[in-house]
Order: sequence, then C-alpha cells, then structure tokens
Amino acid sequence: MTSMNNEQVIKTKLKIVKQEIRNPWIDLLAVLVALVAGLLVGAVVIVSSGTDATEAYGALYEGAFGTPKAVMQTILQATPLLFTGLAAVVAFRGKIWNIGGEGQFLAGAMMTTWVSIKLANLPQPILVPIIILAAMTGGAVWAGIAGYLRAKFRVNEIIVTVMLNYIIEFIMSYILQNHWTDPKSSYPQSISFAPTTYFPSLFDSKLHIGLILVLVMVLLVYLLLWKTPIGYEIRAIGVNPVAAKFKGINVTRTILLTMLVSGALAGLGGGTEIAGVHHRLRLDISAGYGFTGILVAMMGQLNPFGAIVAAVFFGALINGSYLMQIKSQVPVALVHSIQGVILFFLVIAFVVRQYRIRKVQIDE
Amino acid sequence: MSDILQVTFVVSLLSGMFRMAAPILFAALGELITERSGVLNLGIEGTMLIGGFAGFLATYNTGSLWMGILWAMIAGALMSTLLAFVVVLLKADQTIAGLTINIFAAGVSLYLFRVTFAGVATQNLATVETFEQIPIPLLSKIPFFGEFLFNQHLLTYIVIALVILIHLFLYKSKYGLVLRTIGDNPRAVDMKGVNVTVYQFLGVVFGGVMAGVGGSFLTLASAGLYSPGIVAGRGWIALAIVILGNWKPVNIMFAALLFGFLDTFQLQVQAIGVAFPYQILVSLPYVLTIVVLVYGRAKSGAPLALGNPYLREG
Amino acid sequence: MSAIQDSSVVLEVSNLNKCFGNFVANDQINFNLTAGEIHCLLGENGAGKSTFAKCLYGAYHQDTGTVKVNGFDVKFNSPRDAIHHGIGMVHQHFVLVPTMTVVENIVVGVEKSGISTGIKDAAKKVVALSEKFGVELDPHALVANLAVGQQQWVEILKALFSGVEILILDEPTAALTPQESEQLFSIIKKMTMDGTSVIFITHKLNEVMQVSDRITIFRKGKKVGSVKTSTTNKIELATLMVGRGVHFEVEKETLEPGTLVMEIRDLSASSKDKRESLKSINLSIYQNEILGIAGVGGNGQSELFDAIIGIHPISGGNIYLNGDEITRLKTAKILGKGLASIPSDRMTQGLLLEFTVAENLILGSQWVSPFKSGILLKEKEIIKNAENLIKEYEIATSGPEQVAARLSGGNLQKLILARELSRDITCVMANCPTRGLDVGAIEYVHQRLVELRDQGIGVMLISEDLDEIFNVADRIAVIYQGKIMGEFKTNQTSREQIGLLMAGVTEGIK
Repeated sequence: MTSMNNEQVIKTKLKIVKQEIRNPWIDLLAVLVALVAGLLVGAVVIVSSGTDATEAYGALYEGAFGTPKAVMQTILQATPLLFTGLAAVVAFRGKIWNIGGEGQFLAGAMMTTWVSIKLANLPQPILVPIIILAAMTGGAVWAGIAGYLRAKFRVNEIIVTVMLNYIIEFIMSYILQNHWTDPKSSYPQSISFAPTTYFPSLFDSKLHIGLILVLVMVLLVYLLLWKTPIGYEIRAIGVNPVAAKFKGINVTRTILLTMLVSGALAGLGGGTEIAGVHHRLRLDISAGYGFTGILVAMMGQLNPFGAIVAAVFFGALINGSYLMQIKSQVPVALVHSIQGVILFFLVIAFVVRQYRIRKVQIDE
Repeated sequence: MSDILQVTFVVSLLSGMFRMAAPILFAALGELITERSGVLNLGIEGTMLIGGFAGFLATYNTGSLWMGILWAMIAGALMSTLLAFVVVLLKADQTIAGLTINIFAAGVSLYLFRVTFAGVATQNLATVETFEQIPIPLLSKIPFFGEFLFNQHLLTYIVIALVILIHLFLYKSKYGLVLRTIGDNPRAVDMKGVNVTVYQFLGVVFGGVMAGVGGSFLTLASAGLYSPGIVAGRGWIALAIVILGNWKPVNIMFAALLFGFLDTFQLQVQAIGVAFPYQILVSLPYVLTIVVLVYGRAKSGAPLALGNPYLREG
Repeated sequence: MSAIQDSSVVLEVSNLNKCFGNFVANDQINFNLTAGEIHCLLGENGAGKSTFAKCLYGAYHQDTGTVKVNGFDVKFNSPRDAIHHGIGMVHQHFVLVPTMTVVENIVVGVEKSGISTGIKDAAKKVVALSEKFGVELDPHALVANLAVGQQQWVEILKALFSGVEILILDEPTAALTPQESEQLFSIIKKMTMDGTSVIFITHKLNEVMQVSDRITIFRKGKKVGSVKTSTTNKIELATLMVGRGVHFEVEKETLEPGTLVMEIRDLSASSKDKRESLKSINLSIYQNEILGIAGVGGNGQSELFDAIIGIHPISGGNIYLNGDEITRLKTAKILGKGLASIPSDRMTQGLLLEFTVAENLILGSQWVSPFKSGILLKEKEIIKNAENLIKEYEIATSGPEQVAARLSGGNLQKLILARELSRDITCVMANCPTRGLDVGAIEYVHQRLVELRDQGIGVMLISEDLDEIFNVADRIAVIYQGKIMGEFKTNQTSREQIGLLMAGVTEGIK
C-alpha cells in the first residue's frame, strides 16, 4: 500500500456515495422492495407455524379480490384507511407527527353519532352534509388540542396525540355505557340510527358516497398541498421551519392549521365509517385505522395518489386475512405483523435509496 | 373509616405507588441512557410490549420467573438492536424509526400471542404465578415506613438501586462523562478518537433491555397474565417522565413515583367503590402526562444533540 | 523532542489524495513540517486546507498517500492514533460542550486507567499549563460562561493536555478580536520555543505574513506552492491563492447620503435566558449609503437583524421604515413594506433546499400577485419569474424546476439576492452575505450591494470581516455586547480604532 511503484496499477473500488436528488423510480422501487420483503417475512412466519404459505396467501388473495363481492369489501375496507392515510400525508408533509389519527377517527365517529341521534328527524339530504361537517369538526378539534400545544408551547405532539388516543377511548366508553347505550344489547354500543342518517349507497350495493367523498379528498389534498399558498407554507415548515419563519410564514398558525386539516380528514373517516357502514357507534369501531393510516401515508410516499394504492393494498390485506384465517388457520393478526415488517423495510429502503454505489478509481 | 383503616389505606397507597412506578421507571431509566447518547427512542412502548410478552411466554413455559426476566431482556435487546441498526448505523430519521418499532412490535406480539395461546381455551386464562413481595428483615418491621418501603418485589428494589447506579455512572465515571458529551456534542469526543457509534449503539440497546424488563414487570410482577393492551401507554409515559425528570436519574425516579401514586390512587378509589365513572379515573395518568409536558417544557436539561443523527463526513 | 532541531522534519506527507464522491478535495498533496516552525496553510474557503488537516489528524482517512511522523510511516484510523503520535488539533468551529466545565471538556474521552473521571488531577494540570502560558482560567467554570478567547484557550489546552508535538490550528482567529488574535500569536510562539511545531490554517493574508515561518498555498484541492515567509509578499500570495490578480478594493464613486430610509431608536431586546442582547441601539440608514456594522460574531448582530424583521422579541424602542413604524409587526408585514433581508445562514435561514429554484424564488411572496390568484398559486407566473431571475442574476442551474440543494454556495446566495432584490424595496439588510463564498462570488455580492446603493437604496451590511467592512461600507458602526460603541465615516477612521471598539475598549479614543 505504501510503496509507489513506477508501474501504477489502476484499480477500482466500490464506494457508497450520497445522492442529492431523489429519483421517483428509485422511490417506487424502494416501496416495492419493502412490500415484497414484508410478504416474504410473512411467508416465513406462516411456514414456520406449519402451514403452507402459498395456500395461505392464496386464500388471502381470494378473500380480497376473488369475487366481485370481495373486491367491494376490499374497497369498503380501504376507505377509512385512505381517510386516515390522507390525514397523515397532510401532517407529515409539514413534519407534524400526528400519531393521533386513531383518536381523531373516534372523535369524528362520536360527533357523527351525536348528530345522528339528535337530528334524526331531519331529511337525509340535509342531515348528510351536517354529518360530514360534524365528523370533520370532531376530528379537527381533537387534533387541534395537540396542534395548539405544539404551536403555542412546543409540546411534543407525538406523545400528546398518543395520550389523546387513550383519553378519547375512555370518554367513548363512558358515553356508550351511560348515555348512548342500546338497552337491547349487553355489549356497549349505541342504538341503530335512523335511515335518514345513512350515506346514500352507490350502484345499489354496500358501497356508499363515502367512496366518492374520499376520492374528492384525495384531489383536494393534492390541490391544497401543491397548488395553494397554504399548502406551500405547510410544505415549507416541513422542510425548513427556520427559513419559513425568516420569510414571514406564520409557523405557529401553519402548525395549528396543518393539525386541524389532518384531524378533520381522520374525523371524516370515522364519520364515514358510521354513516356509511355501521350506522351505530361501537367500542371497536376503529380496528387500528389511525395507525394503519400512518403506513398508508408512508407507503404512498406522502403523496395523496400514492396513498390510494397503499390504502387498497392494506385494505386487501385486512379483508383477505379473514378468509385466510378460516381456510388455513393463520390468525388475522399476521396482517399486523406483515404491516410492521413492511414499515420497517420501508424505513431502511428510504435510507438506502439516498445512496448509490459508484465505482471510483484508486491507485495502489 | 377508623384510624387503623385509614393507615392501612395510606400504606397500601404508598406501597402501590412504588409497585406501579417500577415498570415505568425501568423504561424511563433506560430511555435516559439512550437519550443521553443523543438518540431518541420513540419505540419504548412497543419494546415494553415485546418484553412483557417474551417474559410471560418464557415463564409460562419454564415456570421460572427469572427465565422470564432474562427473555424479556433478550427481546428488548433485539428490538432495540433493530432500532440502533437503522438510526445509529444507517442514520435514519429517529422519529419515523421509533414509530416503526411500535407498529412492528404491536403486530408481532399480537400475532405470536394468538399463535402460542391459540390452544388455551380462553386466552386470558393463561396466567403465571407472580413475583412475591420480599420483606427485608428488620427494616420491614419499622412501623408505617417499613410496611411500604421495605416490603416490595425484588425488581422494585433493583430499580431503585439502578437509580443510584446510573447516577454514579453518569456523573462519577469517565464513561458517563463521555456519554453525556455525546448527547450534547458528539464531535467533541469523536475528535478525540472516541467511537461514538459504539456508545450510541450500546445506549440504545441498554434502553431496550430496560424497557423489556419494565414490560415483563407488568406481566410477571403486577398482572400474572398477558394481554395485547397490557402496556397501555406506559412506554409513552416513560418518555414524558424523562422530560419531567429533566434527564436526571433521581428526578426521574420522583417523576415516576408521581405517576405510580396517581395510578395506584385511581385503582384504590375504584376498589373501594366510590361512585365515580371509572373511565375518568383510568384516564388520569394520560391527562397528567399532557399536563406534565406543558409544564415540564421549560426544563433545559435535554441533551443538546438529541435526535440528530451524527455524521462525520459529508 | 527536547532540543530544538531547526531543520529536522517532524511530519512528511507524500501524494495525499482525498475525494468526497466526485469532488476531489485533496489532489496529490506533498507537504513537510520541521520542528519548531509555524507553517501556514493558506487558501480560499473550500481550497481543501481543512480536509488536509483532518486527514493528518485521523478525522478523515485519505484515499491514498503516505504520512510520516518523525520518519516513521503512520496510518491513523481515528484521531486517537494521531493523539498517540503527538498530533493535536484545534478545530475551526469549537467542539466544546457549553453545559460542562472547562476541565470536564478537557478530560472527556482522554485515555486513562480506572473508571473515575479524574477531574481533580486534571484540574491541577490545567491550572499549571495556564500559568505557564500566562492565561487566567478557572478550571471549574462552565464553558458557556467563557469569552470566545478563553474558549479557544480551552481548545488549545485539550491538545496540550495529551502532550502535543504537532499542533494544527484551523482558522483560529475567525472568532477573535484583533487583540485576542495577538495574544494567541504570542502563545503559539511560546509553544514553538519548546519545540512544538504548528500548522496554522487561514485565509487571512495579514496573519500569514505576521505569524508564519513558511507558507503552503492551496487552490481548488491542489497545492500550488510552498514559500518562505521572508521571501514573499501579500500580492504574490494572493495571486497564488486565487489564481489571478485580485482587486482588493471595490470601485465606487462618492455619493451624498439621501433621505432617511430606516431609523432605529433606543432598540432593546432580551434573549431567552433573560440576558440583555440589545442595549438601546440607535442607527439610521440613508439612501445612497452603505452602513457597515462591524463586530466579532455573537455580539448581538443576529439579534439586531432578527429584531428588525420581527423574529426576535423587542423589549423597548422603535423601528421606522420610510417613516412608518414597524416595531413588533409581523415579519410578513415588515418585509412587505420594502425591506429585503439577506440572512447570515443561507442554508437554514434563507432557503428551502428541498424545494425547486422557482419555488424558492417566491418564498415570502406566495400570497402576492401575480404568483397567486384566488386561492390558487399561478404556476406559469412562478416559472416565468424564475426564468427571468435566473437570466438576470446569472444563476447556474439547469432550470426553474431544479432542486435548490443541487446549487453551489455562490449560486445559492445569488438565489437569495435575486429573490430579495427583485421585490419592490427601499432598504436592504445583509448579515454576513459573503461568508463561505469564493473570491469571485464575494466580488459579485459586493458589486451588487454597491449597485443598490447607487440606485438610491439604503443598505445595512453586518459583517465580521473588517476587510469587507472597510471595502464596502460608507459609514461604520461597531457593535459590542449588544451596544453600539461608536459610529464613523469610513474615511475618517482606522482599523485600529474599530478593532479596539470591537473588543470593547473605549479608553484612549476620542
């Protein structure tokens, strides 16, 4: 190594170099790699518990897309995930870590319940818009608490939103037991609501206008983030709050606004789930939709259109897992593991994609 | 209530305070060391969950509580090694990575729980014998104080001892000095040839081991059973306690005792059947956490480089 | 190494190469250092001096090339190996922990047996070393409470503590007053008497001539020459350093100041730790005039800048822009009234590096037509604006859609200038606008500032570089510990006078 001979041997070695710009194709590849890795780990887990992985995954696919009814069910399952996913997209673009999608979802559901009970006599065309507004308000208020504390006192929004998730579960449990209780049921749930509160259905199926609503929201979120000054400001505080402040962007207000919009989207998810599917409030109204929303946003690259694909993927995973459990006795909970693994690989892939391997010449 | 009953009530309150504080304190002390190395581990909640499950499973199968603790430590170490790999070596965003650990842990533990206890008729019936309280001879006979200070689980004694040990480590040993420096300005010791990566890696893994033990305290010393919701936000509360304790071990202990007291208070109030919605009582620790964050924010003891990945070149 | 051996080579470097990605930071560097000499590494920012020094100190690993210490081949895997070989380094940006004491900063990470911190013994040694060099220092003082000069001494002590034979000083005078620099030079000279060799990195020609025995000049990663100080002069050095003749002076005609543009009256402010950061500041900025604010960094310049644009809370006083009071208004309002602000830190305060060039060029104007109509942004106008400004300000970029992070430092500054100066403005505030730029970019910025002045705009130039102040400003105000120490016409004052005021010395000045 030390001697310098006259005959220089040109050698190359591989060097890892940090990439400055992001390539969308590499981003997509990163997502796909994470996805495949997640499913592979899932397969290993299935096999190690003594079940045939192809059979289990076959059942999962069949359950998700095998019949028109299954496809419809998958879409229904994807809808709340897309709402909470959009909520995370908006917040994370501003680097506001709203982990309270779950709580905001429940807040929206509770507001919907309240309106549905109180105003059941109104005609459907009037009541439905009220429900939409109420659900968004519920989610926005619940997120607004964390947003206000973060904006005003710089209190870590992650811990606060997580705490708010717990708190609202207890509030909901209290109200369900004491005020909105269905006397005919031993399980804490509300009475069934009047048909005036139902979201109109689409194509005479279980599908409802919530689907249209969520797709409109996708478009609105896209327009908000990339085509309006407000969205510009949200993204600006996300990449560099100091520079934003130096150029007169009101960071405090933008943080609060981001949380309100994010919460409203999650809340609308909760409202849609009530008014479109269950027509009553139950303790288990959200099967971790708030948390899965984080995954949807991450896998969708914090892009609202990407979130559609991600929501359908996770919706299919959840929906298909029921048939998988019946057919191959693999517990539904496997899906949660796979989600965790995918997210884990996503994080790694996001880091790794910033680098590329280059050949560099060295002389030895 | 007669005087004697009142004393009994107070003693059981204070005794419960230590018992309820211990698991949070384990996790918070671990997180303290992690954060002092400049790394924020937001995955404490999930690590406690995995630790609690691994501990319970090991004890359930072997009958040995200490095997349970050992496996809880191993599980915690594995979980945090994953985190250390992405944040210390790959320099990934610590917030996202920490959240990932939580989602990952929740999914994995739930799945394993369903698979392992699928055969048991009602899953919640799978129980183990918990740790016994160990009265310290003579000291436990001290009236009043002895009854709650010296009549605890062995793990509780251990965690209090750890408070002192970690204090000595941080402020009296050269390794502690290096660790604190890394949390404030890693370059300062990197430029003296200290391997920052090793310290940060070990700091994260230590935090994971402690969170694992904290989780297993819940299953093996408090409940004697496992349920997917058993940690119930205690990992997040541990994070808040580190802030409230201003990143100092003794202060963190007092902060943990405050939460332990509140927790045991609400349980005792429920137990004596006060006509009050239990939901409000149960949610008190979570509300207190938010209050603590608002009022504890002015503290200035946070490691200056907390959460920033350390890169020398580039 | 007891006796002084004048000609003995203690450090020899052959063909050292170091790349970062595609960028060649050091290209075939040969270098030697003899015992007891002060050897300057001279070069512009980014010439590769610091990278070279970090390779010698084991903080970076060279790609190829050999290093010999006292005649033996060495290979440093970490700074610890370098320290073992008696090499110490004081970094350009201090690497101290402000929340810890002097002695804690010194002993941390130093190899020793046992597990205790060894504070007590170390404190004694620190006191002894300080006495030897005639410096006063309490080993148990918190570093945060020390003056900058003392902090630098702590950095040097860190090297001395482990027994240093070769000391590398990277831009050691950057944060010092002229007087503190003098003290540093005398300490260094004392050290060389004991046989210590010093590598002194700087881009300041005056210092080089004053302190060094020998000079090695770096340009764009290459060594362009090595000369004895006694056989060279500043002009030759500057030409070697830049690769062409240098205008030391900015050409500008004399102009009479016009009407008052900005007035600051009795402005006071406090920082978060309740310390008074600005004390009753009075300043006026006129049309056709550049007001230079001279001072050592950290004496309230940033607070002044931030207070004017409404970011730093104001505790008393008033600010007027074109006669309108702007005290405590929202930042957006203040900037909208015709104030251009060029912050000191381009990357963190001035730009959104992840955004495109076009997006950066409307930062702050996102609510203003023609960039917005109704509730939507007008993409066409935003792109058109960018295309025009890229041309006008000669910004080297592939186009409006390029991500700002890809631009070089000089072009990033042009991006900020383009954005700020293209607005409808009457006053410009620039805080260290040439920091870290190469000579070409510095000239560009200076010319732009003078052009603005000629157009009748009031300019406030905050700078830590006295050369720049004397070059560009028409009037100079000196700031020290949040106070204006004095104000002079540039042609009626001297560097000595300004230097003393920068150090807070007022005695003996009229």
